[in-house]
Amino acid sequence: MQLFFQTLVGGIGFGAVYALVGMGFTIVYRTMGLVNFAHGQIAMIGAFLSATFFLDTKLPFAVAAIMSMAATAVVGLAIEGILRPLEARDFDLMLIGTLGFGVVLEAVATRIWGATGRAVPAPVDRPLQIFGIIIRTYDLVVIGVGAVATVAVWVLLNRTKAGAAMQAVAMDRDAATSVGIRVGRSNAMAFALGAGLAALAGSLAAPLLYVTPSLGSSLGIKGFCAAILGGFGNINGAVIGGLAFGILDGFAAGHFQQYSDTVTFLVFAVAIMVRPTGILGELTVNRA
Amino acid sequence: MRVTTMSRRWLLAVSACTVLVVVAGCSSSKKTSGTTSTPLAAVGSTSAASGGASTASASTASASTAGSSAAPADTSAIKIAVIDAQSGQSSSLGKWEYDGVKLAVDQANAAGGINGRKVELTVFDDQADPTVSTNLARKAVSGGFIAILGPAESADAIAMSPILQQAKIPYITSGQSPAMPKLGDPYLFLNSPTSTTYDTTLANYAVKTANFTHIAMITNNGAYGKGEHDAFTAALKALNVTPVTDQIVTPDQTDFSAALTSIRQKNPDALFIGAEEVESGLIVKQARGLGIKATIIGAAPTSTPIFVQTAGTANAEGAVSSTPYLTNDTNAQTKAFAAAYDAAYGTEPELHGAKAYDGAEIMLQALKTTNGAGGQALDDAIRAVKYQGLVGNFAFDATGVGVHETQIGIIKNGVLTAAS
Repeated sequence: MQLFFQTLVGGIGFGAVYALVGMGFTIVYRTMGLVNFAHGQIAMIGAFLSATFFLDTKLPFAVAAIMSMAATAVVGLAIEGILRPLEARDFDLMLIGTLGFGVVLEAVATRIWGATGRAVPAPVDRPLQIFGIIIRTYDLVVIGVGAVATVAVWVLLNRTKAGAAMQAVAMDRDAATSVGIRVGRSNAMAFALGAGLAALAGSLAAPLLYVTPSLGSSLGIKGFCAAILGGFGNINGAVIGGLAFGILDGFAAGHFQQYSDTVTFLVFAVAIMVRPTGILGELTVNRA
Repeated sequence: MRVTTMSRRWLLAVSACTVLVVVAGCSSSKKTSGTTSTPLAAVGSTSAASGGASTASASTASASTAGSSAAPADTSAIKIAVIDAQSGQSSSLGKWEYDGVKLAVDQANAAGGINGRKVELTVFDDQADPTVSTNLARKAVSGGFIAILGPAESADAIAMSPILQQAKIPYITSGQSPAMPKLGDPYLFLNSPTSTTYDTTLANYAVKTANFTHIAMITNNGAYGKGEHDAFTAALKALNVTPVTDQIVTPDQTDFSAALTSIRQKNPDALFIGAEEVESGLIVKQARGLGIKATIIGAAPTSTPIFVQTAGTANAEGAVSSTPYLTNDTNAQTKAFAAAYDAAYGTEPELHGAKAYDGAEIMLQALKTTNGAGGQALDDAIRAVKYQGLVGNFAFDATGVGVHETQIGIIKNGVLTAAS
């Protein structure tokens, strides 16, 4: 019983991280129609930045994470700005461009922070005991922050003008332009928002894992799969998919030890074959 | 929002490819994203050559060509390759090894080299990947190197064995897996005791001195971890003790909550870790976070500063380590070594730097005996060396093992001290 609940809580904790990564993916996809292959690496940069603020500048963990989100959003803006000329011209090139940026970010991270990586202590590390079940306090923190972030994103997209503009651009770019929406600026904001979410995911994951330049690929792949599992293009789907993927990952690790990754992706592949549109159904963007 | 068949098919194709790539990648030993790090051949080369231009560039894939001809002339440099992980999670091992070796070589070159010839080191990054190290072994053979120092990873050393044996290039490695002496490769030498030695000493301490009764094990399934697992289990068996649980993780794993939860349930009083430095540190950090209070016991990795750093000083307190190199203050020789190391690199040395230094010193002694020649003669000379080193008294046996004992140390306030 104890094992089940502990695995469940741990799985939901990681699920929150994957949900954040998946949400960032999905927002960029929904608003710009772009699958950002550098998203995992952006999360990694966020993780390194918050680790540096937390460990070297000795800022409180929350402050470090927020500063890292802001800094990474700026990085996101820079990437979008560089790739913007390609967007109007050739979309596939922009896609390859993000792939290239992923490689560059990983190399830059290695140059700045070294190859070995850093261990980040959790800001709260005394384990909690609830009904005789030991739960890692930090897991609850991650879940809480993830929930708050999801609600904030929902409010932003559905209750603010900027969010409405983003959704309008996603629906019909030309119509949005004709009603006076600045598409370029809206896209930049969307990219920055996606990058900020990625940085938050990275910062939260840092004490759970180990921050190295290769953290990006593993977080990116799992976030991407989470988004697909929940229904690609569907923001609610990204959240559901993230949680589902995290729980799947947690239980696979518990039962299959060294083969957990193989099992997780096998189950994912079967799930996608059975229901290709994902749990909540996909909303693909037409970039005709 | 129109959903066209084209975009749906494209998305499915992308996701299918992603899954295939991931499953394929996850089953092999993953070392960063494959697209970025193409095997860096020469990270840097140090040449203490007095006259000619110093080659500080690190671009070509082949060996450094600092004016030395293929056939050793009277004043040409003696080429030794250092093959180690200079990137990735095990890069600390590679750095320690290189620093220790370079210190020995620089000292030798400053004293006149090998009968007037300078020793030239070239570093190769094998990323702790046996595939890469195999390629680098071939490069070393074709590049005219007569000896190799490294690698620190046992899996890589084993992978390189057939190539180096055929080319008659002796190599002194810092790995400790008992699988290495079992190879029967006459050109392979170890500058460290094997896991069997480490773990027998550790098991004896744990059971007889510290009186632990519930010992849990967590090891990784890489070459080093597997060696540790088998050696420690065998050592416990010889003392009629069975571990309460035996968890296996992978070398690249960073989240251990599943294994640690199982361990916690068995309520152990000691937890044996068989994994490299960083992974051991992460395991300890997460174990303490889950409320596991057992004493941590392990071999060489638990004696290093990077283990303490990764785990957190508070979490590493009281960890027991079996190691042949306890502190830098053990005797006059270690003090002198530590002073020189500190002067050269600005940090204090530890076990890995010490054993790399010993290995290099032995290689240099053998080279003096053969007057710079390699091949079978060098191999015999190495085996004949009797050397009082920093990590023990070296006397190589037929399988290549030189040191046969270790001691017990305990981490107190982040520093390894001798167990009283």
